[in-house]
Amino acid sequence: MKRNPLANAILWLVLILGTAAFAFPLWWMTVVSLETPQRAEAAITGSSGLALFPPSPQFVNYPDAIRETGSVPWMGFVDALANSIVITVLVVVGTVLSSSLVGYAFARLRFRGSRPLFVLMLGTMMLPGQVTMIPLFLLFRQFGWIDTIMPLVVPAFFGSAFFIFMYRQFIAQIPESLVEAARIDGLGHIAIWWRIMLPLCRPVTAICAVFTFIGTWNDFLAPLVYLHSDEQATLAVALNGFKNQYGGLEDVHRLMALSVLTMIPCILLFIAAQKTFVEGLARGAVKG
Amino acid sequence: MATVTLTKVGKVYADSAHGSVRAVEAVDLKIHGGEFCVLVGPSGCGKSTTLRMVAGLEEISEGTLEIDGKRVNDLPAKDRDIAFVFQNYALYPHLTVAANIAFGLETRRLHKSGLIAALKGQLSARRDESASIRARVSEVSRTLGLDPLLTRFPRELSGGQRQRVAVGRAIARDPKVFLFDEPLSNLDARLRIETRTELRLLHRRLAATIIYVTHDQEEAMTLADRLVVMHQGRVQQNASAQECYESPANRFVAGFIGTPPMNIVDGNLKDGVFTANGVSISLGAERAPLGARACALGFRPDRVRVVGHHAPQSITATLAAIERLGDRTDLALDTAWGRIVARLDADLAREMREGEAISITFDSEHTHLFEPGECGRRL
Repeated sequence: MKRNPLANAILWLVLILGTAAFAFPLWWMTVVSLETPQRAEAAITGSSGLALFPPSPQFVNYPDAIRETGSVPWMGFVDALANSIVITVLVVVGTVLSSSLVGYAFARLRFRGSRPLFVLMLGTMMLPGQVTMIPLFLLFRQFGWIDTIMPLVVPAFFGSAFFIFMYRQFIAQIPESLVEAARIDGLGHIAIWWRIMLPLCRPVTAICAVFTFIGTWNDFLAPLVYLHSDEQATLAVALNGFKNQYGGLEDVHRLMALSVLTMIPCILLFIAAQKTFVEGLARGAVKG
Repeated sequence: MATVTLTKVGKVYADSAHGSVRAVEAVDLKIHGGEFCVLVGPSGCGKSTTLRMVAGLEEISEGTLEIDGKRVNDLPAKDRDIAFVFQNYALYPHLTVAANIAFGLETRRLHKSGLIAALKGQLSARRDESASIRARVSEVSRTLGLDPLLTRFPRELSGGQRQRVAVGRAIARDPKVFLFDEPLSNLDARLRIETRTELRLLHRRLAATIIYVTHDQEEAMTLADRLVVMHQGRVQQNASAQECYESPANRFVAGFIGTPPMNIVDGNLKDGVFTANGVSISLGAERAPLGARACALGFRPDRVRVVGHHAPQSITATLAAIERLGDRTDLALDTAWGRIVARLDADLAREMREGEAISITFDSEHTHLFEPGECGRRL
């Protein structure tokens, strides 16, 4: 394919600017995380210029940040990390399993009221989280689930409207004869879902898992609302502790160091899943 | 080898817009053990629906379906011990050829997954089963020449190979009845003819009961021990291919079976003389008892003969088109009776040119008379 060189240059310029706009905050965060406390604070408050490279990288900021996380040295970080991992893994597994199962039902089972139910489910996407936050909190308090991971994890096992929709669209275009062949081979609906549909839905599952992982891992509000004690805090909540504990911004270099650490799993996951991920997005778009 | 009996089987689809739609009506059919039965008809004639009712993929609205004398109307597909070969093969895309063939066997195994088996102390029984499944898969793959393909995925196979895997998956389970739903229609013409022969040979080797659906009457005739011609949800004729060809039960069967199709002319019969559009031909004294009536006359293209001009009992025709097929030649003729197709030996037609006028006739003993109407009975 031949392009006009000028158009090419403009395209490159736009791409470079776009990449820079997205990459700059990450780079800046990393720079600040390696600064001395004074320089970091100055950088944040804007009282000094921006350094693209820290003059003397303070790698010690990282172990310091880990030690200072939570109220117990070292263990605070381990706790928060463990909480984040447990919650995120459960939420991802729950969302994938329940959304694909419900998506399969909406795509393949004919039952009375399936259409209104589907529309109703899509309607729940219109509800902003802020609207349901307080009623949900009251409900979970009734259950005695406050300060446990239950309010964060259990809803995931009831599906997510958006991913149910994605699974339904994907499953609807899998030939009906596959389901019929499986029925003749002796499979029931659950077995068809588990042994035929889930393996075929891999691109959707990759999208669902990555989005859910990133969303849950980085989620700040829900853990803040439901998890009150230090031992229950997730990494995202623990990060906030740097501000509360010391007030002001004198610990901002540690905050940034821990932020960098927190981001690593998301970046690794994205790189690992990228191929399946893009394939799935493309497939969702053009139906393959 | 199982007998399949359909008694007054019907299928009614509830349709909110049109009340209800009757797709299949009062089908009576007895397919004997080891018989190759072909359901043939134009699309929408109810043949696939009938097959799917036998399979259990479609509920039976009316009538009884028996396999080996046992009523199976309400038995789910998996318990009917049938195998189904789909038009698009329906191979599991995420499984290798070997896993596809083994799939049905594995879901039917008595000793469940490894963990449960271990808990129940059935591990050795399970191992034996796995070994027997492997043996069965390799036996089937040898029969069908699939050995080099066993580790491939369906997307890596050609159409013909996929078709063979689909057949392999069906025979692996050694079912009572094989059901084929247009299995050759996705193959190119040459491969279709090859595979047709293979299926015929396979049928002989397995001595299995087969119900096969196709819209291709040539495929139907070459495969069938018994041909069931369907139209508008009803069985039009149920007989051997030869019988359907030589004595079609009605006008529809006459027009559907045979290539090129039978010439059928609407007209009147009186005292054994058939007249259409002012041109008459005597059909002989034995047709006289039929009296005077409106009817349709049918005769096969290969029964048409070219005769000298103004010979008695002849019809004048203009050669509209000549199709030379090598050993024989098809002529499209414009006559007072409309378009008539004739099939001649290539030698007889060698000198003919399009636009030429000729005279044709046919032997009255090779004609058929039908009552008027699309499915008019043979007289």
